[in-house]
Amino acid sequence: MSRALRQALSLLLLACLPALATALWHPRRPAWQSDEVTLSAATAWGSAVLWVDARPDADFARAHIPGAVPLNEDHWDDQLNALLDQWTAKRKIVVYCSSLSCQASHDVARRLRDEAAMPNVFVLQGGWEAWRKQHAP
Amino acid sequence: MTFLPRRIPASLIGLIFLLFGALKAIDPAGFAIDIRNYRLLPWTACVLLALYLPWLEIICGVALLFNRAYRGALVVTAALLIEFIIAYSSARLRGLDIACGCFGHGTQSFHWPVLIMDPFLLAILIYLLKAELRPLSPVIRAGPGPDPE
Repeated sequence: MSRALRQALSLLLLACLPALATALWHPRRPAWQSDEVTLSAATAWGSAVLWVDARPDADFARAHIPGAVPLNEDHWDDQLNALLDQWTAKRKIVVYCSSLSCQASHDVARRLRDEAAMPNVFVLQGGWEAWRKQHAP
Repeated sequence: MTFLPRRIPASLIGLIFLLFGALKAIDPAGFAIDIRNYRLLPWTACVLLALYLPWLEIICGVALLFNRAYRGALVVTAALLIEFIIAYSSARLRGLDIACGCFGHGTQSFHWPVLIMDPFLLAILIYLLKAELRPLSPVIRAGPGPDPE
């Protein structure tokens, strides 16, 4: 058993080396700071926020955060142009999708940073669900 | 006689870990988001795990595939599977409908691997580990007896 544990420890230590290399040089390494922002923090930014709705078009048409612009991966090029018309360098972009567990907002936020070279791109924690809960009649 | 039947499942599990680890290692940023979606750890811990876990899977996969540090690889892969099963079960119990992240960030809301495959693989690993740690019978330990001639 002690041999098994010794070997296990060696494997655990060995994995540290490529992990370190990934942290230093991998082109898709994660940022150390979280890009998520809470609804209260985002609403406190007031008119400096440009809301970006990453949900499918049908969901956006049904309801969305006032002033939000749609941007999903299905119509990326067209919708990105519309977003750029409204964006200024001083504005903070907050992307949201349907709920806490959806991925679309993270993917859209990452593409905005990587492909459109936009600074100050955040993801709304809890997404549309969080907004709806707070603004429910 | 038992060597070959044990090597086959060990190699298959090694191959699975190697492939799944490689898929995660391609996109560590996406994998960090998958880990965060479980809502169990702070972001910094998610980043550390996203950098580390794929490589641990790859190294253990290679070890099982090529029969190097075999016992240690069995222990680590079994521990990883237990961790995956607990994390995913906890997410499901909390009502989170998330992608498991098993095949990397590309897979979305794909639940069967963790629910079916991981417990199955864990059972095989426990069997292999028990077989590996079982003490040798006195006959095998003593080696061949004296020549009757």
